[in-house]
Amino acid sequence: MHKRTRYFMVGSAAIVVLGLCTGLVAFYNGGLSLTSTSRGPSEMAYLPADAAMVGFANVREVMTSEFRQKMIAVIPSGEERDEFQRQTGIDIEYDIDTVVAASTVVDPDKHALVLVRGRFNDGQIEGVIRQQGGTMEQYNGVRMVVANPANMTPDGMPRDVVEKGESFALAFLETGLLAVGSETAVKAAIDAKASGNNATTNDELMTYINQIQTGQSAWAVGRFDAIKGSPDMPDQVKQHLPAVQWFSVSTRVNGGVTGTLRAEAADDASAENLRDVVRGGLAMGRLVSGNDPRVDMLINSLQMSGSGKTMSLSFAVSPEVIDALKGFAELADQSQPRIDRQ
Amino acid sequence: MTQPQRNAPSLATASLRVFEMSLGEMLWSRRTIFMGLVVGLPVLMALVIRLFDLAGASGIRINNMAVNGPAIFGLMVWAFFVKFSVPVLGVFYGTSLIADEVEDKTITYLFTRPIAREAVLIGKYLAYLACTIFVVLPSIVLVWLLVIPMGGSLGANFLDLIKDLGIVAVGLAVYGAVFAVIGAYFKRPLLIGLAFIFGWETAVLAFPGSFKMLSVAYYLQGLVPHAMPNDSFASMMQAFFQEPPSLTGSLATMAVILVVFLGFAARIVARREYVLEQ
Repeated sequence: MHKRTRYFMVGSAAIVVLGLCTGLVAFYNGGLSLTSTSRGPSEMAYLPADAAMVGFANVREVMTSEFRQKMIAVIPSGEERDEFQRQTGIDIEYDIDTVVAASTVVDPDKHALVLVRGRFNDGQIEGVIRQQGGTMEQYNGVRMVVANPANMTPDGMPRDVVEKGESFALAFLETGLLAVGSETAVKAAIDAKASGNNATTNDELMTYINQIQTGQSAWAVGRFDAIKGSPDMPDQVKQHLPAVQWFSVSTRVNGGVTGTLRAEAADDASAENLRDVVRGGLAMGRLVSGNDPRVDMLINSLQMSGSGKTMSLSFAVSPEVIDALKGFAELADQSQPRIDRQ
Repeated sequence: MTQPQRNAPSLATASLRVFEMSLGEMLWSRRTIFMGLVVGLPVLMALVIRLFDLAGASGIRINNMAVNGPAIFGLMVWAFFVKFSVPVLGVFYGTSLIADEVEDKTITYLFTRPIAREAVLIGKYLAYLACTIFVVLPSIVLVWLLVIPMGGSLGANFLDLIKDLGIVAVGLAVYGAVFAVIGAYFKRPLLIGLAFIFGWETAVLAFPGSFKMLSVAYYLQGLVPHAMPNDSFASMMQAFFQEPPSLTGSLATMAVILVVFLGFAARIVARREYVLEQ
């Protein structure tokens, strides 16, 4: 064998061995990021670094899904949607692509932010808010419409904003990207993007977002204390929930719906408790479902798994099950008038 | 004084000698430039993607969701290596094992050596395998090291790398054996080989029924979902192959193809009278 052939083979083998050793070390250490970079929607760059909960929805995919077409037949759309379209020029079904929402643990209402990507008539949206008493301003080169509740009619404002007296703002961050939230939150989003101190630097949050499989129609990741702080959650539930630290929910909508709820507890014992609670819940569900085939189908689609500190509950509702549920709903509708007549 | 009679080397020793001789020839041939381009392109692409990523570009997106490193790696292994590089390198190198010697009229020198004719084929086949594996596998490792850290962890994707390396090595071995038969038997082996991979294999995978079982791609690509790092990609593949063969079934079938075709090629070389054109 020639010397250069030998050198080539040694060099080639060295690359493979180096890669395998790196992988092996990483495999046993469970990390070795090699300056890994964060993924997720590009809107993450506008979210605050201390975001405790982030949600994403691919509205366009859901709207065009076979699942929604089936649901439309059962659940007709409301008049509010038409009114919203008339005022803003936004057709939720066709003009919105994605929605990203985030909030923080501290004062979540004040820092809640919604980023909407799609095709908008900026002038019409501005006009609607200005008609309600809003004013235009520039903040770090970004056009904003700020509405002070004191100067506005309550009709044109979100109820929460009016009640809390917080200024509501809407900013045109990029072409086709709107930020909606309190003035503080929207300004913080503009600063987060400019400074680079945003949610992508939150390693803990990004770890969970990166674990969500590509192509999910909607997902949410959050610290559980963000939910625990919610006044809407009953105290009894809060007390009985084990020490869950992080949770993630992801769902894929096409002909059917599949999804996964994942929770990470503080330790193995807490996770085991959580798994027991879920097992008990599933057993209870089967018990009380009786002969109702719809509930039975839904419960049978739930699968619990998990080990160590994690608990995972997945579900898969196939298009056939949805058709069956739709059929049951139609049967129920048909039988209702007959009962009334009797 | 009589010279002590030297025994002919065994098949294994003879194959090893042919392997040593052929490896250098194969590695430094013009064909290797082609192979360098085929396996260098994915590395270059991975490097560009990574540099864009480090520069803060928004990256590859599907449904406005950035595709992470493991998904990009799965896609690259599937598109560049399993679907293209493996069959193409198999056809270019496999068909040339014997055909090149016939074309260059040098096969006589090999056949006049006191070694079994089968050893020529086996030694050259092993040289092909070493040559391609030593070029293709480092390329996959480099792509993996460059792409996976983009939102993925090397540790979590290590087993996928091992599986992908295994799939590519098995693919090279099986395609090499199949094309060794074509190269040993036919006069225009490259054309037949290209027609096989781009014509027959592409067509039968699209046909309904059991036609696809008469291709290597069906079994090789049937292994890929087992190694895919991302469920959504695997589901896309499974949708394409309505009934993917099982892992064990694929491996067993490919082992049979390898042994049968290599044996068949060796038999052809041992028995065939090669007429060198003047």
